[in-house]
This record gives sequence, C-alpha cells and structure tokens, in this order.
Amino acid sequence: MDLIIGGAYQGKREYAKSRFSLGEEEIFTCREDGEICLSARCVDRLEEFTLRCVRDGVDPVAFFREREGEWQDSVLICQDIFCGVVPLGAENRAWREATGRLCVYLSGKAVSVTRMFCGLAQRLK
Amino acid sequence: MNLFISGGAKNGKSSLAQRAAIKLSAGGPKIYVATMIPCDDEDRARIARHVADRAGLGFTTLELGRGVERCLELADPASTFLVDSVTALLLNEMYPENHTGDADPGAARRLTDGLLTVARRAGNAVFVSDAIYSDAIRYDSFTEHYRADLASVDRALAAACDTVLELCAGNLIVHKGVWEP
Repeated sequence: MDLIIGGAYQGKREYAKSRFSLGEEEIFTCREDGEICLSARCVDRLEEFTLRCVRDGVDPVAFFREREGEWQDSVLICQDIFCGVVPLGAENRAWREATGRLCVYLSGKAVSVTRMFCGLAQRLK
Repeated sequence: MNLFISGGAKNGKSSLAQRAAIKLSAGGPKIYVATMIPCDDEDRARIARHVADRAGLGFTTLELGRGVERCLELADPASTFLVDSVTALLLNEMYPENHTGDADPGAARRLTDGLLTVARRAGNAVFVSDAIYSDAIRYDSFTEHYRADLASVDRALAAACDTVLELCAGNLIVHKGVWEP
C-alpha cells in the first residue's frame, strides 16, 4: 500500500494518478454519507470515511486492520486535517484525532508515504 | 533566482524571507512589497511591527495591495523583490477598491498572472504565502473558495520558482531546489 497525505488542494489525487497510472474510474472517492470500497485500486478522501466512523462510533483503525487483505496493494489518500488548530466542536475534535491515528497506522503498513505540498511531493517513507 | 516560502502562522516565514532577500540581492537594491491594506488599529499595529523588524535592513518599501506586477515599473526590475504575502494579495484582489458585494471570481487568475510576471522579470524574487490547508473544520463556502484559490496561486508559484521552502515550527523543509542559509 502506498499512502499519500497532504492539505486540501495540494495535488494529492493528481499525483496519485500520475505516479500510479490510475484512471479516474479506478479511484473510489469516500463521501461523508457513503460507503467505502476497499477493493478499488485507489481510495481517496479517507478523511470523509473517518468522519462517518466518528458519527457511527466505529474505530477506523480497527476497521482497516480487520480488512488488511483488501487494501494492502492499494493507493490510499487522506487529507492531513490533524495539523490545524484543535477545533471547538467535540465531533470535529474526535474526527481530527481519529484521522491522525488512522494515518499513523497506515503509515506503519505502507511501503511508501508521500506528503504533497503546493503540488510538490515529499517522500516521508 | 526565485524562492517560494510557505508554512504555518508565526513559524518564521517573514524573517527567513528577509534573510533570503538580503542574501540573494548580493548588495544590490532590495524592494519590500508591502501587501496589507490596513482596515483597523490591529492591522496598523501589525504593520508597525513589520516596519520595525525591517528597520536597518536596507529595504525600500513599496505599498502594493493590488496589482503586484506594478512593482516592476515602480522600481528597477533587476532588484530583489520580497512579496509578503500572497495570502493578503489574494484577499485584496478579491475585493477591488470601493467594491461591494461578492468576491471577484477572476481574482486568483489575475493574481497568478501578476506574480508569475514578477517571478519571470525580477532580478530575484521571494514570495511568502500561508499553508491554510490542514484543518478539521468544514468551512463556509466563502472560506473554502478562498482556500482553493490560494492553493491554485501557491501551486503555480511553487511550479515556477527555483526553490520552494516550508517552515514547520521554525524548521526548514526544502521541497524543491537547494537552499543554503
């Protein structure tokens, strides 16, 4: 699995498509109210999935750990929403922390971790 | 030589940018492009702090809240220009003078063109922006559009500049090119 993180609008998805020769149809985009499809070659917007986890009382790390076989060869993309100010709302705080923990777990499992900054790729692992 | 610097608030971007401009100028003229159009006493106090920080460093200050490319006409284009900040320029361009109502949707494109002109024609240029892309908050649509627009300007500048630096808690990350302090 290859993990790509970075802030909003920093070019994560374009980079994934270019580096891994992904077509738009091979990318599953998580939505706040939608399902996750771990069998896709690439899963984008994991931060939307973690928000749903927070609302449903699901631990995203446990969710991924139980399904490791499904995503171990995937490209996963997540926004680093855990860098900003601690938000005032309890849900946003839980979301921020759940996303941080998931990215730490996924970084440990990844063969490569890349952080995007202004369209430039920084290799973290 | 062009340098793009971004990162979090109060991480040392402006002082790094000043040191970089001094070094790049190699004794030649240095132009500080001041971008903030003050609205209240807090702004005026911030400007006074920045002016005091720059005192004695040998910068000539040009106040250009909008139309940043005019710095090339108002000063010798062979100078070293320090533009601080892209963030303020975008907000100013979104609201032209005496403007009421919605933000100008052409602001980001216009600002990108102006900054790329400076990058291309200036002797040296240092650009400072702000990384405002990593929050666990659902912003209102105005703020979200502003973030998307700023990112488009940042990315165009990062692509055009020789060196791209990020400051993280005062620590330097070199994303592109080389940088020797």
